Amino acid sequence: MSQGAPLRRTFVLAEFAGPEPLFAAARKVRAAGHTELDAHMPYPVHGADEALGLKRSPVPIIALVGGLAGVVSAYLMAWWMNAVDFRINVAGRPFDALPAFVPIMFELGVLFASLAIFVSAIFLFGLPRVHHPVFELDEFRSASVDKFWLSVRTTPDAVAPLREELERAGASYVGSVEGEP
Amino acid sequence: MKISPWQGGGRAIGIATAVAVAGLGLTALGAAFDPRRALWAYLVAFTDWVGIAVAALILLMSFHAANARWPVAVRRVLEVIPLSTALFLVLFLPVLLGARELFPWAGPQQLAGEAQRAMEHRKSWLNLPFFTVRAAFYFAVWIGFSHLFHRWSVEQDRSGAPGLSLKAHRLGAGGLPLLALTLTFAAFDWWMSLTPQFYSTIFGVYYFAGSFDAAIAVLIIAAAWGRREGIFGGALTTAHFHSLGKLLLAFTAFWAYIAFSQFLLIWIANIPEEVPWYQVRNRGAWLPVGVFLALFHFVVPFFVLLSRRIKREPEKLQWVAAWILVVHFVDVYWVVMPHLSPAAPHPHFTDLTALLGVGGAAVAFTLWRLRGRSAVPVGDPYLQESLRYDPR
Repeated sequence: MSQGAPLRRTFVLAEFAGPEPLFAAARKVRAAGHTELDAHMPYPVHGADEALGLKRSPVPIIALVGGLAGVVSAYLMAWWMNAVDFRINVAGRPFDALPAFVPIMFELGVLFASLAIFVSAIFLFGLPRVHHPVFELDEFRSASVDKFWLSVRTTPDAVAPLREELERAGASYVGSVEGEP
Repeated sequence: MKISPWQGGGRAIGIATAVAVAGLGLTALGAAFDPRRALWAYLVAFTDWVGIAVAALILLMSFHAANARWPVAVRRVLEVIPLSTALFLVLFLPVLLGARELFPWAGPQQLAGEAQRAMEHRKSWLNLPFFTVRAAFYFAVWIGFSHLFHRWSVEQDRSGAPGLSLKAHRLGAGGLPLLALTLTFAAFDWWMSLTPQFYSTIFGVYYFAGSFDAAIAVLIIAAAWGRREGIFGGALTTAHFHSLGKLLLAFTAFWAYIAFSQFLLIWIANIPEEVPWYQVRNRGAWLPVGVFLALFHFVVPFFVLLSRRIKREPEKLQWVAAWILVVHFVDVYWVVMPHLSPAAPHPHFTDLTALLGVGGAAVAFTLWRLRGRSAVPVGDPYLQESLRYDPR
């Protein structure tokens, strides 16, 4: 079901022996104007986000908005149930009793914040996705064993110079893949 | 790592001493005209600052207990702050001598009916000789512990013996329960017994929560100041301030949690022995003070401290920390002063002079103890790890 070039994505993949040469190569590639970089490493390495030029994650803001939404909706719920829908006089305490609502507001704030993190993180990770073009390269399997991979998204006509540049940066293997998004 | 002993700070010590002399002098002058009012102002100032010193000791012991490595670079400052408990032993004398003016159970006055009966009932605990013995015990624990940790750390500067870290680890972990008990009973003695018929088991934690928040604030201010003065030789990094800011955020929330828990339980149970304590504070001119605390001791600092940027910039973080010290004072004032003037707060100039006087004395004493030695524990085996600390 090939629809032509715009829907296809091209990645150049380069294998490195360690994180430092990978970061150095990433900085060079970024200096050359490429912006969509990713690193695939057997374990998390400090400083990768900075070397890849990743923006700060939006998750904290999403969590804050989720938490505040939880607090507000908990108050509205408690207020509607206790002060509007089903008023019960408990030893003369006010119907709209904010102190008594606070534990619920706190709990729902935590719940909404964590759900917001969970759901937004799934989408920010790029899920749901059943397949990614990088897996078409057999050599890429070493990314989960002992090698460090840099992937750069690019256009088909820029593949050749980019491969050359990555080889010069010390990559032990450079390949490119194309695939549906 | 080579950091030469810190010899500066003469000017800062001079200023702090001048503030102490002026503040305590003016408070004494106020006492000449209105001894009772000045004494109450002094109780607020004393409990405010001594709580911070003891909370700093608890923070230090928690670090030792957890074998915490990142705070090693800033630990010498934290070791010196609790040494001021020796000064507070002297500063406690006015409270002890004026106990009859402060604590209803110590004075000659009669309370009405039920309250008088409750007070009689508690006479075996709330009497001046036992009160004095207890205070002596608290100070013995605080002074003893703070000197041990400081001495071992200074010894390690010279010898670098890793065994001293192990000793501090053991005493830190083993001594924490004793610190928790002494601070709790100090809160019962110096704050809660102002209303002898009132009791709240969470009260000690409340004193701890506010003091701990303020102690972290003091540490941040000291670290930011010391970095400007260059006393750490570049050992403190953005990452250290980021983590101190996170601690400040956490314990600002902890204070709110404890303060609200105490209020909610008493409010919802509505028991005659407990609820008057809040009735006084939820009426008239004291109510805005409580609302102010909820907003400016919790809501505003909480959202400000959520910002990563502010936590990573010592020049900004120190102002948030200074604000925490201001609202901590308001908190202490709100706990103590309604006993003196239940209808409304009556500010008096001694409120300010006592606060600055006691605080100035504590700062001068602490700086004087910090002087003459390296401001970083150079012999600590974990120092290198602390210098590399960068968790992001």
